[in-house]
Amino acid sequence: MLEVKELSVSYGDVVALMDVSLEVEEGSIVALVGSNGAGKSTLLKAIAGLLRPSQGQVLFMGEDLGHLNTKHRVDRGIVLVPEGRRLFQGLTVLDNLRLGAYIPRARASYDESLERVFGLFPVLKERANGRAGLLSGGEQQMLAIGRAVMAHPRLVLIDEASLGLSPILTRTIFALIVALNQQGTTVLMVEQNIHMALKISSKAYVMKTGHIVLSGTGEELLANDDVRKAYVGERGSKL
Amino acid sequence: MTVLMQVVINGILLGSMYGIAAAGLSLIFGTMRIIFLAQGTMIVFFAFVVYWLFVKLHIDPYLCLLIVVPLAFLVGLGLFYSLFRKAVALEDRNVTLLLAVGLMYLVDNAMLKVWSATPRSVTISYSNAVIVAGGIRVPWLRLALLGLAFASALVVFLFLKRTRIGTAVRAASEDLEATKIQGISAIWVCAISFAVGIGLAGVAGVGLATVFSFDYQFGFVWAIKALVALSLGGIGNVFGALAGGLILGIIENLAAYYWGIAWIDVASYGIFMLVLIFLPQGLFGRRALVKKV
Repeated sequence: MLEVKELSVSYGDVVALMDVSLEVEEGSIVALVGSNGAGKSTLLKAIAGLLRPSQGQVLFMGEDLGHLNTKHRVDRGIVLVPEGRRLFQGLTVLDNLRLGAYIPRARASYDESLERVFGLFPVLKERANGRAGLLSGGEQQMLAIGRAVMAHPRLVLIDEASLGLSPILTRTIFALIVALNQQGTTVLMVEQNIHMALKISSKAYVMKTGHIVLSGTGEELLANDDVRKAYVGERGSKL
Repeated sequence: MTVLMQVVINGILLGSMYGIAAAGLSLIFGTMRIIFLAQGTMIVFFAFVVYWLFVKLHIDPYLCLLIVVPLAFLVGLGLFYSLFRKAVALEDRNVTLLLAVGLMYLVDNAMLKVWSATPRSVTISYSNAVIVAGGIRVPWLRLALLGLAFASALVVFLFLKRTRIGTAVRAASEDLEATKIQGISAIWVCAISFAVGIGLAGVAGVGLATVFSFDYQFGFVWAIKALVALSLGGIGNVFGALAGGLILGIIENLAAYYWGIAWIDVASYGIFMLVLIFLPQGLFGRRALVKKV
């Protein structure tokens, strides 16, 4: 479904991504893990069209997205749930969801999408007319994902869904991501909670300083000594 | 007491003009963080257009609204795409401020060339009509201007609350990049809010032409007054901007009444500084500003 080929991105003189290649199969959950500054968010932004790569290609359903801006990528079904959620805090929950369905393709299926979002996240229905900024952290993350679902996505890019959430809420959010996936939406997620991310993903990539250093199924990586030592061990207490 | 009432009412009537100007600035600043210093100049320009339509074609200034507001909207779109489109993408907001200053002086001097330095005003048959109630005199035209100010604030409010693009404008004023992530064309949202802001300058132009006399260099003062009104009202709230305008008008008239005309500007700019120091989010601003230091 998604194919990233030898992608490089630089911020000025600083190279953030170097020859990164990965593949996401339709219907799967793929995790992108690694320490801070490894380039995971940069990669998601480049796929979403928010950053221009200096080299390489992003292919979606066989189409080279090189020339397309974010709007057109959303139109093709690639939707980003950004790091830090980036909700419109002063707007109502419903307004946030409406904005998620802004593009014409999504407007057509607005009612259906809204039902889907309220089905996944009933609390959003209760708070529909309240301001997004008044939601709790977990609810805000649900709204951020719900807003992306409103765009009727085929591939959702989720950046650090568990950031700032308690372990219990993280579990809830992860369960919801799995539910979303089971409804047929493909997921590419960046996650700091590596253990949990590897558990739910069918495939994972480990990034380090702008490179992909390791890839495999979630189980393989969980069993990999390097991964355990470098990432899972130090965060094991979180689980 | 009646005299004081009259002073306050005069202030409200004058302030409605500041309010319209400030509402336009608020929209433009809200979405793009542009301090559009040329807003006053645009108001004067549209006042000249009204003047011309009146003198050459004998069109009633209030009927001119139907021509001037759509014209102002289109001028706004044109200005945005020609001048600001590239600059709003830059991190450095100073470029947009300098562009606005350049535009202000350019248009000021073009107006001097076209319409000369002679102060103009539009005198219509009902210019001197006055409503008297309980010893208080309200010039009909100023009352109409107040109505116009409220009507335009209401229209902009409904636009922001009830339309899809209006919701996107509100979203963009919070987080422009996040609107992009939703697949919304950030440039189009900016263009629309800019055009609506300039459309409000068109409304204010009708008010200026009918109630005040004006010349080519009035724009800067109007822009500054609108900024003061905006600082009082707080960003991102059209009714706040309108209220800020009314409060400024009242302050100016009270200062003139108690201390004399020379104190008008000392009072209004004094309040401006005080608000910026102690209440930078404005009197009605919800959002507290983020401290960087």
